[in-house]
This record gives sequence, structure tokens and C-alpha cells, in this order.
Amino acid sequence: MADDKVMIVMTSGPDTPRRCATPFFFASLAVAMEYDVTMFFTIDGTLLLKKGVAETIFPKTGGEPVSKFLRDALENGVKFLACTASMELHDLQPSDLIPEVQMVGGASMWQVAEDSKTVLTF
Amino acid sequence: MSNIRGCNLPDDLFYLVEKHVWAKPIGNGVIRVGMTSVAGKLSGGKLAAVTVKTKNLGTEVKQGKSLATIESSKFVGPVPTPVSGVLLRANEKLADNPNIVIADPYGEGWIAEIQPTDWEGEKSTLATGQAGLAAYQVKMEADGVSCN
Repeated sequence: MADDKVMIVMTSGPDTPRRCATPFFFASLAVAMEYDVTMFFTIDGTLLLKKGVAETIFPKTGGEPVSKFLRDALENGVKFLACTASMELHDLQPSDLIPEVQMVGGASMWQVAEDSKTVLTF
Repeated sequence: MSNIRGCNLPDDLFYLVEKHVWAKPIGNGVIRVGMTSVAGKLSGGKLAAVTVKTKNLGTEVKQGKSLATIESSKFVGPVPTPVSGVLLRANEKLADNPNIVIADPYGEGWIAEIQPTDWEGEKSTLATGQAGLAAYQVKMEADGVSCN
């Protein structure tokens, strides 16, 4: 049973690789601290959830791809929500994204934010 | 002191084998807890931080729940407590050098001290002595873990 809910809003995407690993790392860290963690993907963050994309983004030359941090977060129990409007922005279909993500409207972002003790935005 | 698959595992500690943590009564009803050498191996051998959740100081943490977190550049994970109890204090030396948890896991590298709430009841759930180490060895063999 988690102590508290926290939320990470992810707006960074493939154009800014160095901003793409730490949010997933912080999410896994929060799970290790017994928080119930939701990552909400919007704007360019949604592009990281497109199948095959995270594997090609490297925050550090010679380092691990974003997919490693993303998979760790999922395996640790972080919930992934993606904003339907950002899918329209990028002409994405639900089938384009990894299956672990749940599509929700922007209003869900506000509801999760209101339920969360802390909200971080990247 | 015993050596199991290359890992140093003293037989006088009480282990929560599934979580690779140990407990040791240090007198006055206080239990000291830490990570085993196996956990050090699994974490990759070099830590960036070990952080006790200070919000928990003075409150009860249940057996198996996260007491602290360990971080390396590629890994993050919880340090579950082997016993339920009130968190009394964290090892302040960890802030300066988190790697004492790996270099000296049963000495300088202890993580926290706890006032147990059910030591007599929970003691039997922990592995200790030669039988306990045999159980730990089974777990390590099943997971394919060694310190060599």
C-alpha cells in the first residue's frame, strides 16, 4: 500500500534526449519510496511512447537508451497515461504506442494532479 | 563468518532473504538493520546515494516495506526493513559515503536503527544461523547470484 500519490508530467521528447531519462529514474525512485506513481505524457513526451522510439534515444553518448529507464519504471509499477490531444498533435493512433500506456483526456490530468501530493513537470 | 557463493554472510545475523537485508539486536531492545553483501553485488557495486526516508523517523515501518532507497547511475531500488518497528535513527555516515554499505555492510555500513514492535513474533520469519544461511544459499542458487 503506497503512502501517497505523486505525479510526473512528461512534456520532453526525442528532440531533447538529455531530458528524457531522469523523469523515469525519478519515477522508479518514488516507487522505491512507497509512493503510488503516475506519469502523464503530453506534448512531445507522448512521442517517447511510440513503439521503437525510446530505444533510439540516448541521453548520454555511449550510455543506456531511454527505453531502459522507461522499462524499469514500468516494471517497478509506474502507471503511464497519455493525453489524447497530444496524439492528435503528432498524428498518432493508439496502436502506434506501447501497450502499457492508457489513453486519457486532458481532464484526467487535472484529476490525477488534484489527487497527488506532489506534481513534477519535465 | 560464512562465505556463501563468494558472499560474506555472518551466521549471527537475522536475514530477510527475499529482500537481501539483515537485522541484529544491539541491546536495549534496539535492532540495527542493513543490506547484505548480496544486495551490494546486485546493485552493481557502486552507489551514488543511500537515503533513509526521514519522514519515517519516529513512525512505524512494517516488515518488508521501504525504509530507505539506494541509487546508482543506472539503478534505483528500495531497502525494505527486515523487522517492523519505529525508525529511531539513520546512519549519518551514509550521506558522506554511501559506498560503506558495500565496503562494510555489517559494520560501518549499517543503514538504520529500529525499535521493533514485534521482534519475538517476527524473529521466526527471518533466516539465521547455519540453517538460515543454507536457506539463503538456496535463494542465491535459484537466482543465479554470486559475489565472485
